[in-house]
Amino acid sequence: MAIIVHLDRALARRRMSLTDLSQAVDITLANLSILKTGKAKAVRFSTLEAICAVLGCQPGDILSYQPDDEPG
Amino acid sequence: MRQRDHLVRSAAIIVQIGGIANRLFLVAVVTGLAATWLVPGFFNGLLAEANAAVDVSDALFGTRLLMMIGIVMAIVIDRMLVSMSAVISSAANGDPFVPDNARRIRAIGWALLTLQLLDIPCALLARFWPSLGSAAPSGDVSLGGWAATLMVFVLARVFTAGSVMREDLAGTV
Repeated sequence: MAIIVHLDRALARRRMSLTDLSQAVDITLANLSILKTGKAKAVRFSTLEAICAVLGCQPGDILSYQPDDEPG
Repeated sequence: MRQRDHLVRSAAIIVQIGGIANRLFLVAVVTGLAATWLVPGFFNGLLAEANAAVDVSDALFGTRLLMMIGIVMAIVIDRMLVSMSAVISSAANGDPFVPDNARRIRAIGWALLTLQLLDIPCALLARFWPSLGSAAPSGDVSLGGWAATLMVFVLARVFTAGSVMREDLAGTV
């Protein structure tokens, strides 16, 4: 996957658990866990906005782009 | 929502009853067809009794063809009702937009198309077997049937698109 999620890093910086974030942004722990493990197919702007507001960060602190390795 | 649940439950019961009735019909027709060879005298007597002027062997052959069409229809209807039942039960579980349902609805479409095409042998029987008398099928072309077949194929496409969207939504946080 070319989009890497750094939610764990952002959480560690704020010394916050995923459960605390889940309660703060009103998103289920299961959904946040899907996002954190990079299994999500899409992220709503509203989700990104809520996470950034609570963690005091920018979307770029949570998501980054890393090109897939060229085959061969 | 409760009204919708009621509708789905009712549809499930109707399809189940229809399925049982159709299988009973299939068994009856298969038995009847076998009996035309096992006890032809009985059928000859019945046909002669119905119309003394009829060519009995011709009418018996026509009756056999009619029964064979009936068997094909019953098998196709059975497949269609099985698919329908699966679609209804997925709707009852609250998750009808799955790829399996798109495949099932397409199968229903093919079944309906087969039933529509079976009008052709029915029309041929009605045209070339006057000895069948009132037992001959009408063989009329049903515009409503063709429209329903087309609609079901369109619905299958809708379900294919719907299941893809549903899959995307499932991965959206």
